[in-house]
Amino acid sequence: MNKELAINMLAAVKKPARYTGGEFGSIFKEEAEVRIALAFPDVYEVGMSYLGFKILYHLVNKMEGIAAERAYAPWIDMEQLMRERNIVLTTLETKKALCECDLVGFTLQYELSYTNILNMLDLGGVSVLAAERGDEEPFVVVGGPCVFNPEPLADVIDFAILGEGEEALPEVLTCYRNWKREGKPGGRQEFLHRAVRIPGVYVPSFYDVTYNEDFTIKAVTPNTPDAPATVTKRVVADLNNVDFPTAPVVPFGEIVHDRIMLEMFRGCSRGCRFCHAGMVYRPVRERRPEVLRELAHKQVDNTGYEEISLVSLSTADYSCLGPFLDTMIADFKDRKVSVSLPSLRIDAFSVDVAKKVQAVRKSGLTFAPEAGSQRMRDVINKGVTEEDLLHAVSAAFANGWKKVKLYFMIGLPGETDEDVLAIARLAKKVQWKFKEITGKGGCQVTISASSFVPKPYTAFQWAPQDTLEEIRRKQGLLIEATRVKNITFQYHDGKTSIMEGVFARGDRRLGKALYLAWQRGQRFDGWADVFDFERWQQVLQDCGLDPDFYNHRVRGDQEVFPWEHLQPAVNRAFLASEYKKAKQGLLTADCRQGHCNGCGVCQRLGVPVMDWSGRAYDASKEKGFVSLAEKMADGDNQGYSAATQRPGLPKEGGEAE
Amino acid sequence: MKLRFQITKEKEIRFISHLEYVRTIGRAIRRAKLPAAYSQGFNPHMKYSLASALGVGVVSYAEFVELELTEPVHPLEAAEALQKALPRGIRVLAVDAVDNSAPALMSVAGGAEYRVTLPWTGDIAPAVEAFNRAEAVFFEKQAPKAKEKVRRIDVKFYISELSAVQREKETELHFHCRITRDGSMKAVDLLNTLNEQYGLQLPVEKADIERMDLYRVDEMGNKWPMLDTLFEQG
Repeated sequence: MNKELAINMLAAVKKPARYTGGEFGSIFKEEAEVRIALAFPDVYEVGMSYLGFKILYHLVNKMEGIAAERAYAPWIDMEQLMRERNIVLTTLETKKALCECDLVGFTLQYELSYTNILNMLDLGGVSVLAAERGDEEPFVVVGGPCVFNPEPLADVIDFAILGEGEEALPEVLTCYRNWKREGKPGGRQEFLHRAVRIPGVYVPSFYDVTYNEDFTIKAVTPNTPDAPATVTKRVVADLNNVDFPTAPVVPFGEIVHDRIMLEMFRGCSRGCRFCHAGMVYRPVRERRPEVLRELAHKQVDNTGYEEISLVSLSTADYSCLGPFLDTMIADFKDRKVSVSLPSLRIDAFSVDVAKKVQAVRKSGLTFAPEAGSQRMRDVINKGVTEEDLLHAVSAAFANGWKKVKLYFMIGLPGETDEDVLAIARLAKKVQWKFKEITGKGGCQVTISASSFVPKPYTAFQWAPQDTLEEIRRKQGLLIEATRVKNITFQYHDGKTSIMEGVFARGDRRLGKALYLAWQRGQRFDGWADVFDFERWQQVLQDCGLDPDFYNHRVRGDQEVFPWEHLQPAVNRAFLASEYKKAKQGLLTADCRQGHCNGCGVCQRLGVPVMDWSGRAYDASKEKGFVSLAEKMADGDNQGYSAATQRPGLPKEGGEAE
Repeated sequence: MKLRFQITKEKEIRFISHLEYVRTIGRAIRRAKLPAAYSQGFNPHMKYSLASALGVGVVSYAEFVELELTEPVHPLEAAEALQKALPRGIRVLAVDAVDNSAPALMSVAGGAEYRVTLPWTGDIAPAVEAFNRAEAVFFEKQAPKAKEKVRRIDVKFYISELSAVQREKETELHFHCRITRDGSMKAVDLLNTLNEQYGLQLPVEKADIERMDLYRVDEMGNKWPMLDTLFEQG
C-alpha cells in the first residue's frame, strides 16, 4: 500500500500543509487496540474548524488503548495526483490508511458533502457500499446534524449515532473493543447487533423501507428484533460534567475558524421555524461561567491563540453573558487575547456587547433579521420587529459603526414579491437611520440573501421549496431594488440549494444517485466552482428520480417521512402546530421565558433546560445553590414542570438566597 | 533586550509556507509565556521577526527568530521554554541575548551551506568538474512577476565550488552559497543551471533541499556562527 506523498506531489498542490499533519497538540498513538479515523468530508481548513471533532478527538484519545486520528478530503489537485500514483488516503497522525482503521467516523454537517464521503472511503481503500465491506474492513459510522435524515447514505454507512457523542461514542468504542478482544465472533453482523443495543445507535440495514405507489413512504420497519422501532438521540444532561478540549490541535496555516472555540451552551429555544439546529439540539443547556473561565485559561495556555470565540447557537442568549464577558476581557487583556462572538442578537444589549469585545475596530456589525417584512418575520417566528432592528443599528451608529451587514433568506414559505422587496426597503431604512443619527451619508449596507431550504424536523418540513426559476426571479427583483448607492447585494446561485433540498428531505432511493454521481466525478458539491448541476440533473434522471418530488411537492398532514424513525425527540404534533401558526402569522414565545410550548424534548429525553441566570459570576453567591441536574440526581425529577423551571433563583440583579 | 534563537524547519513540516511558519513560531512564543514586547496601539502585535524567508519544501537547520522582551530572561531558560512549546519539526539549536539596538541579524549573514539529494544516478562527475573549473557560469532567471524581465546572474559569484557523492539510488550535492546585502541565489536554481549548461537531467522537482547552516564571514573569509550560545535540550 503506497502512502507516501512525495516531494514533487506536495510541491505541486495548493496549500500542501493540508496533508502533512504534525501540528502542535496532535496526538500520536502508535500502539492502539482500537483506532478510529475522524473523517471530515471537506478540506482541512473547513474540517479543522469543526468543534464537534475537536471534542471527540480530545475525549477518545483520553481513553486508554483507543486512538482517534484525523482525515480530510484531499482537494481535487491532490486527489488527481493520488489516483495517478495509487496512493491511499491516510490519517494525519500515524498515517494509517482509512482501511487500516477499525472505524471511520464521518460527520454529516452539510448535505452537499455526501459525495466526498464516498470519495474518501474509496481513496482510503474502504469499500464504498456497506453491503460489500468485508470482515477486515472498518465500520463506517456517521454523526452530526444531518444524521436525523441519513437515509440517502443508507447504502454507504454501517451505522449512525444520533445526537451528542460525548457519552455514546465511548460506549460504541468500548463495545467494539470487547468484540475485537473476543476475536470478532460472528463477523460484522454480530458487532452491529451488539452496537444497536446502545441507545442512539441506528443501523440502516436493520430496517426495511416500503413505499406507496406515489413513492412516499409507507413504513419503515425493523427487520430484526434487536432494532428499536424508533431511535432517539443522545444528549448530555449536564455539560459541566463532560470533558471539553483544553489543548486542541493548533494548525500551521489559517483555517476557517482560527481561534479558540469556547462552547457556552447547546441548544436554542427561540424556536425560529426554519431552523434545523434550533430543533435538533434542544434542550438548552448552559455551561457554568466558572467552568468556562477555567477552560478558557487552559486553552489560551495550551494553544497560544490570540482570540477566544464564545460559540453557541445564540451567544447573546447566554444567561450570564454580561458579567462573564467582563471577566473574560479583564482576565485576558494583558495577555493580548481578544474575545469575540460569532453572531449578535438584534437589540441594544448586543450592540453593547459588541462595543465591549470589539474595543476599537469598528469594521462592521452583522445582524440577521432573516426576512424583510414583518409578516414574514412572524411567519418564521423570528420575534424581531423593524423597530428592534432600527433601534439596534441606531445604537451601533451612535457608537461609531459605519457598516452593517444584514442576513436574509428568500424563498420562505408563503413569501410574496412584496416580502422580497421589503428586504431592500429595510436596508434603505437602515441607511436613513445612519443619516438621522450622524447627519452624514455614506452608510454601507450589505444584504446577504440565501435561498431557503426546508429541513426535516422543522415546522417547514411539510413546505415546498422554491423552484430554481422562482429563486432566480426573486433574486432579480432584489438586484433591481438594490441598485442604490452604498447597498451591496450578495446571493448565491440557486442550483446548490436545489440539490441541498433534495438530499435534506431525501429517501433511500437517492442512494443509487449518490453513487452514480460520485462515479461520474461529482465531489465538493458545496464548492460553487466545482459543483456541476447539469451532471446532477442527468444522474437523477438516469436513476428515474425527480428532484421536484423532494423539493416542490406539498406534503400532506398524514405523510410518513423517511426520517420519522430517527428522533431528535421533537413532537410531530408540535411541529405541525408551528407550521399552522406560521401560516396564520402567529408567534410562539421562547420557552425560557417561562412557558412550555410542548415541543416534547425535555420530557422525552428526561433532560431539563439548564440556565444559570440569577447567579452572579461570583463564587460567594453560589452557596446554597442547587442545580436542576442535582435535583434530578436526587430523584427530584418533575419531568414536565422541572423542564420549564429555571434553577429556582431570582432573576438578574437579584441576590442568590 | 532581544533574544535570538536558531531554530530548524525539518522534514515533517517542510511544506508549511513561510507565513505559516512565522505564525507557528508566534504562537509557540505565547505558549512558552516569554515576556514578549508588543507594539502600541489598538491592534498590538508581538515584536518578533524571522531572519529570512525559506522556500516552501526546503528543510533548514538554520532559521533565526528574533524576539523583543519587556523584561530580561535567562536565554537558556527561554530556549527551553520555547522548545517545549514547539511542534515536531522545529528544534531550538542556539540562543543569544543582544541589545535592542543590535543590527538586524540577516544583515550580517555572509553565506549558507546546502545539501541537495536527488533520486538520480547518471554520471555527475564531468559536470561538477566543469563547473568547478569554469570562470563564470551564467543563469538567466525570469522575474516572478514581470515575464519579459530576465535577470542574468553569474552562479559562480555565489557558489564557487560543488562536490558530489553518488550512491546506489541517489546523488548528493554539497555547496556553499554566498549571501550579500543585495541577496543571494536559490539552491534550486543551481540545479536548473546544471541541467541547462551541462545537459544533465536532474529531476529538479524531486530534489530534497536542505539548508545545513547559515554563517557570518569576516574580511579574511573566515566563517563564524551566527549565534554564540549552543542550546541542548536538557
